[in-house]
Parts: sequence; C-alpha cells; structure tokens
Amino acid sequence: MTRILVPLAILEGGSVSAGLTELLEPMNVTVLGYHVLPEQTPPDQARLQYEERATDALEDLATEFGAEDGTADYRLVFTHDRKQTFDRVAEATDSPVYAIPGATGPIDRILVALTGDVAVERIVSFVAELIGDHEIGVTLFLATDEEATGRELLETSARALAGNEIDVRTELAVDQPPLEALAAAAVDHDAIVMGERAPSLRTLVFGEEAERVAAESVGPVLVVRHREDDADREDPASTEER
Amino acid sequence: MDDDPSPAPGPSAEGTNVEGESPQIEPTVETEEATITDDAELERTLGLSGGLAIGIGTMIGAGIFVFPGLAAGNAGPAASVSFAIGAVVALLVALPASELATAMPKSGGGYYFISRGLGTLAGTVVGLSLWFGLVFATAFYLVGFGYYAVDTLAELGIAVGAELVIPIALLFGAGFTVLNVTGTENAAKLQNGVVALLLSILIVFLGYGGLDAAGLLGEPTAPERFAPAGIFPVFTTAALVFTSYLGFAQVATVAGEMRDPGRNLPLAMVGSVLIVGVLYVVTIFVATSAFGSEQLEQFGETAMVEVGRHYLGPIGAFAIVFGGLLATMSSANASVLSTSRAIYAVSRDALLPRRASRINLRYGTPHVALGLAGGPILVLTATGRVQLLAEVASFLHLIMYGLICVALIALRRDEPEWYDPDFRVPGYPVVPALGALCSVALIGFMQRESLYVGVGIMLLTVGWYLYYARDVELKGAL
Repeated sequence: MTRILVPLAILEGGSVSAGLTELLEPMNVTVLGYHVLPEQTPPDQARLQYEERATDALEDLATEFGAEDGTADYRLVFTHDRKQTFDRVAEATDSPVYAIPGATGPIDRILVALTGDVAVERIVSFVAELIGDHEIGVTLFLATDEEATGRELLETSARALAGNEIDVRTELAVDQPPLEALAAAAVDHDAIVMGERAPSLRTLVFGEEAERVAAESVGPVLVVRHREDDADREDPASTEER
Repeated sequence: MDDDPSPAPGPSAEGTNVEGESPQIEPTVETEEATITDDAELERTLGLSGGLAIGIGTMIGAGIFVFPGLAAGNAGPAASVSFAIGAVVALLVALPASELATAMPKSGGGYYFISRGLGTLAGTVVGLSLWFGLVFATAFYLVGFGYYAVDTLAELGIAVGAELVIPIALLFGAGFTVLNVTGTENAAKLQNGVVALLLSILIVFLGYGGLDAAGLLGEPTAPERFAPAGIFPVFTTAALVFTSYLGFAQVATVAGEMRDPGRNLPLAMVGSVLIVGVLYVVTIFVATSAFGSEQLEQFGETAMVEVGRHYLGPIGAFAIVFGGLLATMSSANASVLSTSRAIYAVSRDALLPRRASRINLRYGTPHVALGLAGGPILVLTATGRVQLLAEVASFLHLIMYGLICVALIALRRDEPEWYDPDFRVPGYPVVPALGALCSVALIGFMQRESLYVGVGIMLLTVGWYLYYARDVELKGAL
C-alpha cells in the first residue's frame, strides 16, 4: 500500500483536520513532526528542550491515523531546512506522496489535477487506491493549450477510474493561466491531489507550486512526488506552461 | 576514570555538577544526512560551501583588512613569512582536528574532542576558554569594523575622528547580539553570498596589485629590505596575526550540522586555511610593494584602504572599504554563532548551568548563550585594545589547538571502540606532535600582557572546574 507522508510543524500548532484523517486512515501514513530552527540554534539544543512535548503530540496524531492497526507511525526531526527534511524522510520511508494538511470538513469530492511533471498513470492509480471504499467523487482537471490531446488524456484517465466504480467528472481548462484555473476549479472540492513539479529555477523563485495551490485553496493537498523516471513525460500537460 | 571494559559506544558520562545536573548524553546514530537519536532526528543542513563560508568568513576579516598595517610595521615585508608560518601551524592543527571532527561530528568542536579524549578538567578549561577566546576574537573583529566604518564615512566625505571607532563598534556589537536573539531570517545564505563577493573583490584586487607589484605593470618599485627588524619580529608577528587563522576551528563547532561530515569537515577546515593563507601572503606582498612598512604602520588598521587607492585609485579605496565592512561584519557574526554553540556544548555536559542553553520560546534562539557571548564582547570592545584582544584570542585558541593534537595522540595510542574517523591524519604521529609543539611555541612569542590575561582566564576556568564540575565524568562519553 502506498505510504503518505504528513509533515506537520509540530510545535507551532500544526494539526490535521478530521476530514483528512478519515481519508488517510486506511492508508499507510508517516506523520513527520518537524521543527524549523533559526541558524543560531543547534538542532540538538532544541531537541533537549522540546523532544518530550513534541513526541507526546505526535503519538496522539499517529493514533488518529491508525497507529494501533500498524498503518501509521511518526518521525520527529529538528532541522534548519524544511524542504531537505521532507525529501530525506520521504525517501527514507519510501513515501511517493506527501500531504499539505489544510482545513476541511468531511470529504465528498476531490479535485485531481493531472499537472506537474509526474506520470499521469501514477496519479490516477494513487487516486484509485486513495478512494478505495470511500463514497468520494473525483473531478479530473487538466489545464492545457492543446485541447484535443488534453481531452483525450482526461477521457482515458476517467475511464480507468470509472472502472473502479468511482463517480468521475472531468474539467478541461484551455489557454488559461494553469494555477489560476486550478484554484478556480478547486472551489466546491474538499481536497486536491496533484503531481509535483521537477525542481527548476521557477520553483526556486516562486516556491513550490503545490504550496501555492494549498495556500489558495485552504483545503488539504496531496502531492504525488516527482521521480527521476518521470522526467521525460511527453504529454500535453507538461507543455501547458512555459 | 572508569577503566572497566564497557560495551560500545563507550562508557556513558557520569557524575553531577554542584547543582545536581548530569551530562545529557544519549546514544546516537550518525548518518551522512542526519543524527538519529532514540526519539528524534537532527537534520544536517550545512554543505561544503556553507562550511567553507563559515571558515573563510570568520578568518578573512582579520588577516586582510585589519592586520597588514600592524604586521608590516612589526616585521617589514617579511610579515608575509609570518602569515605563512601561521598558515603552517593552522594546517598542522586543522588536520588532526579534521580527524577528530569526523570521529565525533558534534556541536562544540574542539571542546568536544578534548573532553572526550582527555577528560573533564581539560574539557572544562578548553570549553570555557573557547567561549572566552571567541569573545575576545569577536571584540577584535568589532573594533576592526569600527575602523572601517569611520573610514567609510571619510570616503563619503564625512570626516569623523578616530574617537568614534569604539562607539560605532559597540553599537554594532549590541546590534548583532539583538539581531541574533530576535532574527529568525536565515542569514547563512547571506553569509555564503558575502564570502563569495569578498573573494571576488580580493581576487581582482590582488591579481591586479600582484601583477603591478611584480613589475609587470607600471614602474617597478624599489624593494626595501625584506626583514628590516631581523628574524625575531617575524615570529612575534606570526603570534599576533594568528588570530586570522582561528576560523577553521569554528567550522568544527558546527560539525553536528554538517552534511556528509566525513568528507565535508576535513575539506572545509583544511580548504579554508589554505585559501585564506594564500590570500594573506599575497596581500602582504602587494601591500608592502605599494608602501614602505613604516608608512603602512602609520595607516594603522585600515592600511589596506590606502593600498587600494595606490593601485586602483578611488575605486580601489572604495572596494577595500566596502570589503572591510563586509568582512569584519561576517567575522563577528560567524563568531557569535560559534560562541553560542560552544556554550551550549559545555552546558549540555553540565559544566555550566543548564539554564545557559535554554531556547527562547518566542524567537527559538538560545538567548541566554547569545547574551553570555554578547555581554562580554561589548565590555572587551570598549577597551579598544586591538593587539591585546587579538593575542588573547589567539592564546586561548592555541591552548585548545595544542590539546586537540594531544587528544588525537591519546585517542590513537589506545583507540576506544567508538573511535572510527572517516578521515585519518597523514603523517601520524609527526603531524599532531608538530601541531602541538608549534601551538605552544607560538604562544611563547606573544606579549607578556597577553600571556598574563590568557593564563589568568585559564586559572579561572580551573577554579570553576574545582568548584562546579569536579564530579562530572566525560572522558570517552559519546
């Protein structure tokens, strides 16, 4: 089963909404409690002071995600660099997906954006696994300049999901600014699943796309991490932005 | 000392200090990217460039921007030999320190190696001396900064007298301390940029000045006698300017946060000494080619500004003034960061009250340790005694360097099970033995006054050990 990393700023009141807990409960979850320190502070020094408090909070959270059934565990990391910690722990726990926990109530419908530099099949198969027995509808979303190929990609993916008895809709945004279109489509949805971008100058300057989407949409965002073998993805979605 | 054979990773620390606190030591697993303790992981976030930036950033301020005038005044053009001697001594210590750092990649650097290799008394003396040594060094950098600030104003056409040097240094010293307590911005990236900028300025300037001085551009200058005051001042000058090589040990104080420590720590320590050593020697050559050493001495702490003006006109002067401001600032800032880590390492081992390593709840910074660094720094800055500050800082560091070499030999002679460095000193035991001897020898060339102050501080730390931490047992505790 796919493992999902749930990073939380554990000492800054980071929490997980009930809707996300319910959605992820059947999956394997690693709660990553992290605390970012200014460079003046050695991580070990912070550990001495905060470890106990943080561990207590993390134990409770892991229980909510199903630690007692053995599907959830937690890690506690003190760091100067959040991104580096996410990447390292995601590798170490073998988690292909991470969550940006937003605020949401019960989840009825999620938006799945076939964007990013991640192979569409990986996103779609993850969504099928995530929905499982939940009564949750899916809206497949794609922003592209090439209407015909985009529609075809959406149809193929929708068929794959419909085969799992999931209520699927599709939404195609042609010639629109992709991020804005995605944010607009996210209204009426309780959570978002999207693919990660390969690291580039743009993410360096503007920040992670997923984090901007999370900030726009308020709700939780599940991000399918980019892998090396995703690099040569050749479909319209990868040309939607230049 | 407990001589019983004990299971790896070595006997745990025992005993309590006068307040009943005992060292907080937990078994850890070190990987390239993190330190893993029972319940938590500590991310290693500093790369090689970050380590080099700390080492070079700490050192370059003093050697290039403060010392050339003073050093040339003492030893003439042979001051470049003094800097070369300093570089050799620093290398002889940086190599053993690298081995120890890869075996014990923990916060606290030299203090940590010595307390584990030689026991609590030596550890206490070095740990507290490292604190004071860094405080003296930082005060020295700040005074240097004050001189550059006054010169900057002068370049901008605002003539203020030298009496403003100390007030400006104090103001910035207080500012640094407050910024370090309240600032949560990540200044590390800024530090990298500052060091890169400084190196570019220097390489352009020294490249041009070097060609000019060698007679390839313009008219060759008539050389003065190489060592006008004889050989002895060359060594006393080496003792004085050794302050410009203290930075590599600061790299070791952040060893616990260095990625891939087995590779990056030795490279950062040895690399930063080599880079600044070459720059220093070239700087003195260029400076003494531009002016006679007497004239350089008259220019004082900011002699390099005149050297810049000599070669490149007002642009050169401005580049050096600007570089001097950046360099002394980055030296002071890097030292304040190391000081708070040194204090933390000592207080974790119950040699100082645990309160000293408390973290401020609002800012997440170690405000007590930063205060313990900042307060004494301001007092010392107020004295304005550049040479004394520099020499006492060197003295306290040299004691530590000597003991680092001794600790290495002690550990190697009877290697404990936990001792498994990724990097081993080439030329053992000659290199560490020479390192220890040279460190002590260099102390012998210092002014009497600096020796008194230095020895006084060490006696105080011994007194503190006897009063506070006599029952703490650290040797071999990892």
